[in-house]
Amino acid sequence: MTPAYYLFLSAILFTIGVLGFLLRRNAIVVFMCVELMLNSVNLSLVTFARMNGTLDGQIMAFFVMVVAAAEVVVGLAIIVSIFRTRRSASVDDANLLKY
Amino acid sequence: MKPALAYAAADGTFAATWLLLAFPAVGAAILLLGGRRANRWGPVLACLAAGAAFVLGLVLFAAMLGRAGDDRAISQHLFSWIPVNGFQVDAGLLLDPLSMCFVLLVTGVGTLIHIYALGYMAHDPNRRRFFGYLNLFVVAMLLLVLGNNFLALYVGWEGVGLASYLLIGFWSARPSAATAAKKAFIVNRVGDVGLSIAIMLMFATLGTTSYAGVLGGIGALGANSGTVTAIALLLLLGACGKSAQFPLQSWLLDAMEGPTPVSALIHAATMVTAGVYLIARSAPIFNLTSDGRLLVTIVGAVTLAIGAIIGCAYDDIKKVLASSTMSQIGYMFLAVGLGPAAYAIGILHLLTHGFFKATMFLGAGSVMHGMNDTVDMRRYGGLRTVMPITFWTFAMGYLAIIGFPGWAGFFSKDKIIEAAFDKGGTSGWVLGTVALIGAGVTAFYMTRLMIMTFFGERRWDPDAHPHESPAVMTGPMIVLALGSVISGFALTFGGGLQQFLEPVVGRSAEEGIHTISPTVLTLITLLVVAGGAAAAYRQYGTQAVPRTAPQAVSPVTVAARRNLYGDAVNESLLMRPGQYLTRALVFVDGRGVDGVVNGLAAGIGGSSGRLRHAQTGFVRSYALSMFGGAALVLAVLLLGRLG
Amino acid sequence: MTPTDIPAPSIAYGPLWPMIAVFLAAAIGVLVEAFVPARRRRPVHLVVALAGLTGGLVAVALVARNHHHPTLIAERAVAVDGPTLFIQGTLLLLGIAAVLLLGERSLDSTGGTFVAAAAVVPGSRGERQLTASSTMQTEVFPLAMFALGGMLLFPASNNLLLMFVALEILSLPLYLLAGLARRRRLLSQEAAVKYFLLGAFSSAFFLYGIAMLYGYAGSVDLGAIFTATGTVGSNDTLLYLGIALLSVGLLFKIGAAPFQNWTPDVYQGSPTPVTALMASGTKVAAFGALLRVFYVAFGPVRWDWRPLMWGVAILTMGVGAVLAITQTDVKRMLAYSSIAHAGFILTGVVALNRSGLSGSLFYLLAYGFSTLGAFAIVTLVRDADGEATHLSQWRGLGRRSPALAGIFALFLLAFAGIPLTSGFTSKFAVFSAAISSGATGLVVVGLIASAVAAFFYVRVIVLMFFEAPAPDGPTIAVPSVLTYGAIALAFAVTVVLGVIPGPLFTLADKAALFVR
Repeated sequence: MTPAYYLFLSAILFTIGVLGFLLRRNAIVVFMCVELMLNSVNLSLVTFARMNGTLDGQIMAFFVMVVAAAEVVVGLAIIVSIFRTRRSASVDDANLLKY
Repeated sequence: MKPALAYAAADGTFAATWLLLAFPAVGAAILLLGGRRANRWGPVLACLAAGAAFVLGLVLFAAMLGRAGDDRAISQHLFSWIPVNGFQVDAGLLLDPLSMCFVLLVTGVGTLIHIYALGYMAHDPNRRRFFGYLNLFVVAMLLLVLGNNFLALYVGWEGVGLASYLLIGFWSARPSAATAAKKAFIVNRVGDVGLSIAIMLMFATLGTTSYAGVLGGIGALGANSGTVTAIALLLLLGACGKSAQFPLQSWLLDAMEGPTPVSALIHAATMVTAGVYLIARSAPIFNLTSDGRLLVTIVGAVTLAIGAIIGCAYDDIKKVLASSTMSQIGYMFLAVGLGPAAYAIGILHLLTHGFFKATMFLGAGSVMHGMNDTVDMRRYGGLRTVMPITFWTFAMGYLAIIGFPGWAGFFSKDKIIEAAFDKGGTSGWVLGTVALIGAGVTAFYMTRLMIMTFFGERRWDPDAHPHESPAVMTGPMIVLALGSVISGFALTFGGGLQQFLEPVVGRSAEEGIHTISPTVLTLITLLVVAGGAAAAYRQYGTQAVPRTAPQAVSPVTVAARRNLYGDAVNESLLMRPGQYLTRALVFVDGRGVDGVVNGLAAGIGGSSGRLRHAQTGFVRSYALSMFGGAALVLAVLLLGRLG
Repeated sequence: MTPTDIPAPSIAYGPLWPMIAVFLAAAIGVLVEAFVPARRRRPVHLVVALAGLTGGLVAVALVARNHHHPTLIAERAVAVDGPTLFIQGTLLLLGIAAVLLLGERSLDSTGGTFVAAAAVVPGSRGERQLTASSTMQTEVFPLAMFALGGMLLFPASNNLLLMFVALEILSLPLYLLAGLARRRRLLSQEAAVKYFLLGAFSSAFFLYGIAMLYGYAGSVDLGAIFTATGTVGSNDTLLYLGIALLSVGLLFKIGAAPFQNWTPDVYQGSPTPVTALMASGTKVAAFGALLRVFYVAFGPVRWDWRPLMWGVAILTMGVGAVLAITQTDVKRMLAYSSIAHAGFILTGVVALNRSGLSGSLFYLLAYGFSTLGAFAIVTLVRDADGEATHLSQWRGLGRRSPALAGIFALFLLAFAGIPLTSGFTSKFAVFSAAISSGATGLVVVGLIASAVAAFFYVRVIVLMFFEAPAPDGPTIAVPSVLTYGAIALAFAVTVVLGVIPGPLFTLADKAALFVR
């Protein structure tokens, strides 16, 4: 099995993440789609590490995980606070700022 | 003349040239930013700042006289403004005999008027702001005359425009003052556009805006070439706007809404003469284009006639003086338009005019001060005895402006008439005749003003209690009156000013080739002047002056009272077509975006109004546009790779 | 493999001190939050933050003096060269002004610009009690310091992984700060959620781009990518995918079209001092990173990405200038103006020569201060509901407060690029650089966009000075010395760079060389 298949899988996962971001309304789900995009990148990084025969890509995957975790903390704080205000987690409801 | 324009470096005493600007600049900054703390001592500080600049000006003048004629132009490099990509614009100052004249006039007369304003504005709650603006004006005016390139001149040009705008509208509670300020601002914009395009044109053809580069290099373009004429005409447009010359003259009358010291300083002695400075400074350009020079003389002659005629009709003392200013600046334009022969005479008239017109404006201010700010001369009369100092100083200014032998105007105005006749040919005769008749009309309206104000019966309002002004006001008036008496003689004594200015504007014509012998012409001029004065005496001195202006008057008077329809002309030439154009454009736009006057702006505004609805406020639609953008970026890169 | 087999990286700590100082101050800020009693926190935070930033500034000066040769330190991850130091100096100065604005609390009768307690639900009784008290969420100081630290690191990264980490360090605190306004909390929270979701979305693209470039070059070192682009035979598709995706992330941060959508909403909703920090600091840092990536790593393939940047610059200038015209909110108008300015700076990036780089650096500094000053003035115009940002409320402001309106007008004139303000000199620098590199068409578009933009700046000036004030118009709050200091700094920079830009031009020109 050639490593390239993993790259295709990663691209497909990334696209699913993008589509989820565009199509889903619930802020938590939207946010999880971003996480999916980040993790699909991790898959790419690890695959490239394998293809290039270096360890860098795998180390980078760890960095990305840590950053993603920090992002979760900040993101959940913001989403929870707006949920408590509006009693709704729909991103379409946050629509006061426009034009 | 030297082959190319080279300026000496500023060393020794001249290293202090920049301080001329710094003194009033610091004054303006302290007054305008100092807040209420500066209320008490601010005005005095402003006077000191102007005075310090004047003293420094005198020191520099003395130092300049100590140098040989050709070394008197001193250039001081301040800093490089924009040094990028091998392109360089330097900011620097140029102190030569021409700018020296202006420095002394602006700081000298400026200081006196600052002192006068201490008394005149004593009871105004906002006088700190007023003096701050005055200092600001002095800075801008000095920058205008001291810059060593056209860009610096332009900055000063806009600066004096701004100061003038602020000062005309100083009593902004009066709607008329606010309107007048706006009008002055807008009319001046028309002229400024001309000036700015002229500077761009210089830069485009010569690659520089410095005097050394432009005035030294303009000769390479050839005499009467299209570019040179275009630059000259655009400069003239700029000069017309600032100096209230035909067809941009109408703002000056309205500008009289400003406090009287402002009228004296800005709208009589200094700022309005900036146009004359511009033309004299650009002498090498105008020397190359006979069409340009001819147009300058025509503008000057037309304006001097218009100003003189309007001056006969107004009853408002300040407006009479304003139209007289217009008319006198017309004389200056006429002089500088005559070419190398008469630049120095134009500047001479500018200087003497600075003295006598300032004297008369301050006198008018003193009269108004005593008469509860009434400006209608039909409510004056017989003030000679109650305001003796004002009367006598004003009389000095009067004798100077009509050109009474021995007084300042006699030396400058008569010379202009003479130079106009000397031009020769039909144009010389026409210009000379207009200038000669103008002198007669000047005598008429100035005599009318004198008689209606200081002589005859007292037609005062019941609550008027005229009194002489305090010493702080009469002092400057006396000094200026002295100037009106002697400045003409002093400046021409032994060809003084002529020779002083020669390195800048070139040598005057040889003596001896005259159309009419000077003696004869002087006699004719005096006769015409005497005739004008006598006519005014017969009209206003021998019969009672009605307290309200008579309505059954000749059409000429009606026209003159309406400013010779100057506003109407402006309206139909500039405003109406603009309005029709915008209306047409709005009509074309169809959807008619409200309140947007400019067609192009309407187009952009309309698309803006539609486009902004793309900003829906939904996160997901933003993300979609980002995703689309990302896809586009990718497509461009990859397709560019294939193609 | 024993642990000794792994060689410890050698790190020259000296040139890192500008960043260390700021991060240290941020960490101390966290400790202050834990150990200092609530009522004394604000002044202590202010001192710590200002000390950190001043220390950073001193460090930048020392590094600039002692390191004449640009170097790559920390295993080539951090570049210490002219652009790094210039941008770090700019950011630290902007940071000082921004921290002064954050610390202001005498504007609102109830104190501060920031929410009393972010966790309390808006509109609840608890919130009303808290708002009446003078408490505030003092975590804003360490958050801002972390963001500033990230900004310092972002343009200095010579390694894409480090750049990604720096991007997140600068972004995450800003997401939080955006949601902490004291008044109009719904708008503020909405701004935070939008900024966060779209920011996370864009950084995922950025990261995917890194992965592609890693696959292409086998390394994320900018120098290694440069070497790889010079050799034939590698898989080009990966390179172009990488460039495209990386650009998305960077263009998002600078607010270039078509990735500009978030800017107006977030700028309008965030607390104004935070907006000031975002509009100046983030833009400077992101442009620094963009310049480094494109000049250092993608230089050899410039003919492929230059048309793209052309298009983006034109679109950005157009969108910013045209959409700003119909805005009715001051903060939103300034946001669109910042979009237009991103387009103007991009013309300097497209020039891709030394004068383009120095012009962009100059522009960033000049624009950073003007925009910070403009937002600082927005904080002062207030009515009973907080800041009065609707343009109709600014009518006749020049009559009420000539000095304030005059300074604001100066900033607007600087945005419009009128001579004798910093805006003119900086536009002149980038445009002349673009012309010298042959991008005349781009400059023509830039000039047209400037003319359109000048229209709405002048419109605001006319509104302030030539129209009668509304009877129930806003009042001008009297700030403490903090806001005065920030405005004075911005004002001074705007004027001085307009009148005497020479020295800074020389400095920017000397700094304009990337290390590879």
